[in-house]
Formats: sequence, C-alpha cells, structure tokens
Amino acid sequence: MRKKTCLSMVKLVLYFFMMLTLSGCLGAREINDLEIVIGMGVDKGEGGQISLTAQIVNVSSSGGRPSSSGGGGEGKPFWNVSSKGDSIFEAVRQITHMTGNRLFISHNQAVIFGNDIAAEGLQKYLDFFLRAHEMRPTALILVAEDKASDVMDTKPETEKYPALNIAKLVETYGFTSHLYKVNMKDFASSLMSGTTAQIAPLLSIVKEEESEDIYVSGMVVFKDGKMVGKLSHDEARGLLWVLGKVESGVLDVSLPDGKGKAILEIMKAKGQVTPVMEDDKITFQIKIKAETSLSEQTTTENLATNEMFEKIQEASAEIIHQEIMAAFDKSKEFNADIFGFGEMLHKKYSEQWKKIEKNWDEIYPTIQLNINAETKIIKTDLLKKPVSPKKEEK
Amino acid sequence: MLGYIFRKFLFNNSLKSKDKYMNENTDTAGSNGDPLSSDLDKNLAVIKEILRDSSDVTFHEFNFGHDRRFKGALVFINSLADKEEINKNILQPLLYDSLMLHNTVDMDFTQIDTISRNILSVTDYLKVNLLSSLLDNLLAGSAILLIHGSNEALAVRLGKGKSRSIEEPGTEVVVRGPREGFIEDVSVNIALIRRKIKDTDLCVERFVMGDKSKTDVYIVYIRSLVNPKLIEEIRRRLNRVKIEAILESGYIEQYIEDSPGSIFPTVSNCEKPDKVAAKILEGRAAILVDGTPFVLVVPMVFIESFQSVEDYYARPFFVSIIRIIRFLSYIISTLGPAIYVALTVFHQELIPTQLLISIAEGRERVPFPAILEAFLMLFAFDLLREAGVRLPKPVGQTVGIVGAIVLGQASVEAGLISPIMVIVVSATAIASFAVPAQTDSGTVLRYIYLALAGIAGGFGVIMGLLATLLHLASLRSFGTPYLWPVVPLNLAGLKDVFFRMPLWSMTKRPTAITWDDGDPYNQGPGLMPSPNTQDNSDSQ
Repeated sequence: MRKKTCLSMVKLVLYFFMMLTLSGCLGAREINDLEIVIGMGVDKGEGGQISLTAQIVNVSSSGGRPSSSGGGGEGKPFWNVSSKGDSIFEAVRQITHMTGNRLFISHNQAVIFGNDIAAEGLQKYLDFFLRAHEMRPTALILVAEDKASDVMDTKPETEKYPALNIAKLVETYGFTSHLYKVNMKDFASSLMSGTTAQIAPLLSIVKEEESEDIYVSGMVVFKDGKMVGKLSHDEARGLLWVLGKVESGVLDVSLPDGKGKAILEIMKAKGQVTPVMEDDKITFQIKIKAETSLSEQTTTENLATNEMFEKIQEASAEIIHQEIMAAFDKSKEFNADIFGFGEMLHKKYSEQWKKIEKNWDEIYPTIQLNINAETKIIKTDLLKKPVSPKKEEK
Repeated sequence: MLGYIFRKFLFNNSLKSKDKYMNENTDTAGSNGDPLSSDLDKNLAVIKEILRDSSDVTFHEFNFGHDRRFKGALVFINSLADKEEINKNILQPLLYDSLMLHNTVDMDFTQIDTISRNILSVTDYLKVNLLSSLLDNLLAGSAILLIHGSNEALAVRLGKGKSRSIEEPGTEVVVRGPREGFIEDVSVNIALIRRKIKDTDLCVERFVMGDKSKTDVYIVYIRSLVNPKLIEEIRRRLNRVKIEAILESGYIEQYIEDSPGSIFPTVSNCEKPDKVAAKILEGRAAILVDGTPFVLVVPMVFIESFQSVEDYYARPFFVSIIRIIRFLSYIISTLGPAIYVALTVFHQELIPTQLLISIAEGRERVPFPAILEAFLMLFAFDLLREAGVRLPKPVGQTVGIVGAIVLGQASVEAGLISPIMVIVVSATAIASFAVPAQTDSGTVLRYIYLALAGIAGGFGVIMGLLATLLHLASLRSFGTPYLWPVVPLNLAGLKDVFFRMPLWSMTKRPTAITWDDGDPYNQGPGLMPSPNTQDNSDSQ
C-alpha cells in the first residue's frame, strides 16, 4: 500500500512538471511591458531600405482618469515610431531601440502600404505579416495614396487612434458598398490563385484649411501583387455587385421625364455568376437581384404608383448594369481579373481551364458579360406621398 | 488522489491513540455499571461520592406514606431541573397526597411501579436500575427518585430546559415561505418536522453520542421512502464515532462524511424545517443533533447547493433564470480572478483591442505583477469578510466602509491596484455570496485556480478545471453520485437542475437517492392545471 501511495505521489509531481514544461505556452508578459501596436505602415526609405511605422498606444497620456502626478502631460494618445531596416522583421526589432519593449502586434488592425511599395509589389513584404505568430490573418490591408506614415499621422476628430479609425472606415463599407475590406488572408489567397487580381482600399488625405482628414477614395487593383490602377467608388460597387458583397448603398435614379430624381436605398442584394463556355466564346451570365426602398425624391409628383415604380426599377437596374460594365471595362484596361472569373471557370470547366489557364491574360479581355439586373422597390419608408401643396395633386 | 493521500496520513496518525482511548473508556465504564442497591443510604453515598465536587446537586431525603414509614430521596441538579414542577408533581403527591390515603389502602411504596402508577402526576419518566444510567439521566436534567427498599430508581424528566423561541434563521432568509427555523432544542426541532409530515412512517431513531457530552442525536426518515441500506450505513457510521463530545452537528459531519479530503461537502446542512421535510420526502435521512439548529441531511448531491427552498414556492419561470444566475455566479466566483490574470498576463491577444487599451491604461502605474495584485485584493477581501463576520454589527459596518474606501478607491488612486482588478474582485466577491452552500469550496478553488493561472495561464486554468471535474465525478455521498443527475445522466432528475420545471411535471422522486424499485411517483399523473372544459360546454 505504502509503495503504491509513493508511486502515485511521484506521478503527481511528474504530471505537474510535465504540465509546466511540455505545454510550451508559458510566455507570461505583464501588460505594462507591452507596446500595443494598433497599426503598421510600410514605406520605402532611403537607399532601398524599408521604413516601418508602428502606431503604438500611448497608455500614459490616453488615460481617462486624472493623474495625480501630472507628469504625463497632454501628449497624443498614440505614438508613431519609425525605424529602418533591410527587412520588415529587422525594422520591427529596430523599434525596440526606441520603445524599450518588444512590440505586441496581436492587436494590429491594419497594415498600410505606401504608394511606392504598392507599385513595386507587395508580395515580398507580405511574408512577415503572414508568418509572424502574433499577427492576425484578419488584419486589414490598405494602400496609402502617398506615404503610409502620413496617413497614420493624421489624427481623426472623433476617434483617438488613427489606425482604429482607418479600420472602422473600411469595416463599415456596407453603408455605401463603394469599397471592400480586404484582409491579409483574403489578399494572400487571391495572390495564390494565379489568375485573380487583388484589390485593396486606397486611403487619401483631404487637406482643408486647418484639419486633415482621411477618407477611402477607391480601390487599388493589383496584378500579381503589383499595383496597376485604381477603381473609383462606382466602379468598385460594380465589382461588389458581381461578387455579391453589396450590403447597402444609395442608387441615384434620374426620372425618365427628366423632372427630378428618385433616390433608392439598397436593402438587399444578391449576385449570381454562371460562366458559359461555347467553343471559344466565354460568356458570364450575371444575375443581380436587388431590393430597394424609396428614401428620397426631389419632385412633388407622387412616385408611389405602380407605373412610376416600374420606370424607376428599370432605370435603377440600368445603373447597376452600368456600374458593372464600368468595373469590367476598367479591369479589361488593366487586364486584371478582379472578379475572379478565372476561378469560376476553373470550378465549372476544369478540363478546358487547364488549356486556357496560361493564356488567361489574352483571353480575359475577350470575354462577354450578360448582365441581367432586377431591382424591386419594396417600401417607401415613412411617407406614402411626397410633401407637396394639395393643389398639385390630381 | 490528494484525498487518498490525505486519508492515508490521517489514518496512520490516529492508529496509536485509538488503542489508548479504548482502554480508558472501558476502565471508567466498569465502576458505573454497578446495579443499584436496595439500601437508600448506600445509594446516596455512592452518588455523593461520584458527584462530590458539584455544589449544584440537591439531595433531598424525606419520609412519606400515610404513616410516614417509607423513606425516600430526590436527587436533582438545581441548574437543570425545574423546581416548581418537582414540588408540584413529585414532592406534593408523595408528601401530602399520600397522607390522605385511607389506612386500609395499604400500598407497598417500596415498589417503584406502585409510586409511579398511583402517586406521581408525571408522564415522562424512566425506571433505572443501573448506577450509570441513573447518573446519565441525572446529568441530562431528570429528577431521580430513590426509595429505600427498592433497587430501582425513577428518573423523572420535568419541564423543558431553557431554550430560545423559534425565530427566522439567519442563514436561509426567504421572501416567500415559512419563516420558522430550527433552534438548539432537538425535541422542538423534531416537533417542527413532525408538524410538516404527519405520517406514521416517519421514524425518529435516537442515538446518544459523546462519552462526556452524551448528546442526543436523532436520525429522522420516512420508512416507506428511504432506502434501508442508507439508514443501515448511517447507523454504522454513527456507531463508529467514539469521541468525547459533540458540540455541534459539524462534529458528526466530519466523522461520517464520505470524502474527508475533498474540498466539497458531501453532507448538507440546513436550518429550515420545510427544507428538511422536503429532503426527507425525497428519501433522504436527516440527522438532528441536540444543541444546534443546523440539521444534517444525507445523501447530498452537488446540485442541491444551487437550489433554494423558495425555488419551489415561486412560479417556475423566474426561478429558472435565478438558477442559471446561481450557476454563473459560482463560475464567476471561482474563475473570475483566474481568467482575468490568464488573459492579461498570457493571452492579451484574446482581449478586444479597446478593452486591452483600457486595461493597460488602468495598470499603467501599478508596480505589481497582475498575479500578485490579484492575490493582494483577494486576501484583502477575505480579510474584510472575516473581520466583518466576527465583529459586533455596528463595528462590522465600519469595517465594511473603511474597507470599501481603502480598497476600492484609495488603492486605485495611489496606483497600487488597477481599477479593473477592483471590478473583477468585487464581482467575484458578490458572486461568491450567491451560492452559500459552496462558499467554502468556492474560496479554496478561487485561490487554486488563481495560482494555476499565474503559473500556466489559460492552460493551467483548464488543467485545474479538468482536475476539479474528475474529482467531482468521483465523489459519492452515501452511495449517491455527487454530480447526479448530470453524471450519470438522468432525464427525470434534470427537470430540477438548470431549469426548475413546474411542480406538476416533476412526478418522480430522485432515483439516485432512493434506489428503490418500488413506486417512484410522488403525485398522480396529469396534474397540469387547466380550465374545466366540461363545464364550459355545458353552459353553452
């Protein structure tokens, strides 16, 4: 009995030590020793080096409570630290010369690439962000119109932290569907597909007299990781229609009689793409179904009639058609398959795809789109009739 | 496994002293086991010799009978016996009423039976013929009537000892439900149960335990519902207990529980007659101990800790929400600080960004590691609680206020503790009061989990949880699995775990407690109330 007890004691102690040594996740770090990175910017520095800007939460100045010592001062709530290096990892570690602590990049919301880096090609800069174990694959990828560090320096009015503000700008794309959020994982997987072109939101700075504001001015199109051009807001929505990513947005419909406008809110949208391959002719059947509501009108005429509705629906479908064609024309211009048509063909016609895969760049501009957009007005919000003097009504 | 080692250790330690104790016991029993003699003076001399240093023993010798030819003596302890009752019911009949007897009615008053049947106006008496039982009864508060010429004595129990009145108990306050609670007098407690269950099958078995305290211990159960093996096991365990004194039911609990090495209690205790009655009706057995309002009930299952009597008096919907809140609060009270430490020290990536920034801001000036901070705060909380419990009420409030200000505000402003830690610890503290039956285990677990979180983060906490779960699943309370009805799963039993189903749907008694093949139903079928549709159609 005693021997058995002794043995079980030994086992217990062994288990305990195994728990400590074999688990391999005993990296205790106090929060005080962390530099919480919320955004990173990559620019081209002098002499071909990389200039990395990390946005770190400045804990001491952003504290909400009054500090009795008064030593903290009224600094910015964030701290943009820049360093240079031949590789991103080197630059990241260089930053510790300035911060004293290791960067903690698990909470990195966005990686912003400068214009020159995007033009050169993102492929070789992405590796670190995908490989580092702390980094999230859901961190957003963005491109700055000029330098990434400038974008990160622009302090927003309502948000404390520029990086979080930028992430929010992109996360809420659904209000207009004029842009789309792209994260590391999506970007990498479209990069690996071979034929699909990548996109990323483009950040611009509007300078007004006193303040500087950041806004998303469109989407950047990459081909094989290199920036090849830009999509405007409407073109970007044309892309999202096809991808089925439109959530909401505004359709600005001119009435057929030219008397005014009806403004529709997109309530629900569905996109369906079917590739059809006949001999050498490749056609994509694109079906868009959208439900809208009448949110605003600029005429006094009562638009809430069946005849008017039909006219407006037709006109709005035409707008969707135009947006898609605009996006498609742009993509033909860049010869970049932003829609992922190649992948769709691959799925449906895998045999034939093998033959045309290599020549996809030549084939892409020749493909035809057959767009069938349908919209339906399902409600007129709170008003049944427009507010207008009674006499004008029939 | 720890419990096993613990038991082993205890067992080895107690072996030597056991033999010694047994020997002493038999020595003293030898002298008191003598039969009484028929000589009054001799008996009195022996009693006087044994109680020679007690000044509160009264020896009253007297002559009685119509010709005063019988000699008798009354022995009682002043402080225990009710003198008025003695005068009225023993002395007066013996001394005066017997005078009135006609000469021709010549009774032989040397026979104890003759006296008790013809003279005394008492009902609660006992004939004793051994010195030891005479002394036992004397010390329990009986008046002993000794008659010259009889080798038997009469122990008369008169009046009740001083006891407080029945009040609302302090531990289990209810909004709706009976307000009465048990008191220290065990006979009152049994009466309280008898008033709830007027059944011929209700059994009250008496034990006298403790060599010095001679405490009355009762097992109360319903013969037709209880598993006979359970009662046998309780008798066996109670008879095993050879100790000097039992001052509270907690003494018995610690000698009869299944797992003395476990932090979880396997014997439940409560202060309310309605709760005990409900448990007896489920086939459990109650153990009542004289001198304490806390009644033990076995077997106990873990889920019982989360049930309150009021759950069954209120309608089921609100109760079900409260049940879930109780489970959550137990989880918070054991895991709260551990999860906070694991997240902030090991897994910062799991905290939402904005929250992490807030936590970092709060911790900015804190000089301690989070684990030390948590230990300090928990220590301070337990200190406050302990200080508040023992102090008189007005002072206790002061302690609470000082503690709240010092801990809650000053320490945060001084930068010693982060505000979020104060929130975590106070939430933990509040949650720990929601499940009173598991406060002990919860407090121990809280420190263990916290230590594990400090050593190995979330991994350590999970390991601790697994160990706890294994331990809980291995526990038994008088043959009932501790986690029943969850492990082993019992669907009928689940009606009263996370949700409290309507009373009319809980038609069966808990099977793991009765283990009975007989009738498991505690009510008829189809008792769900509904309007009388028959009447409605008639009126139309």
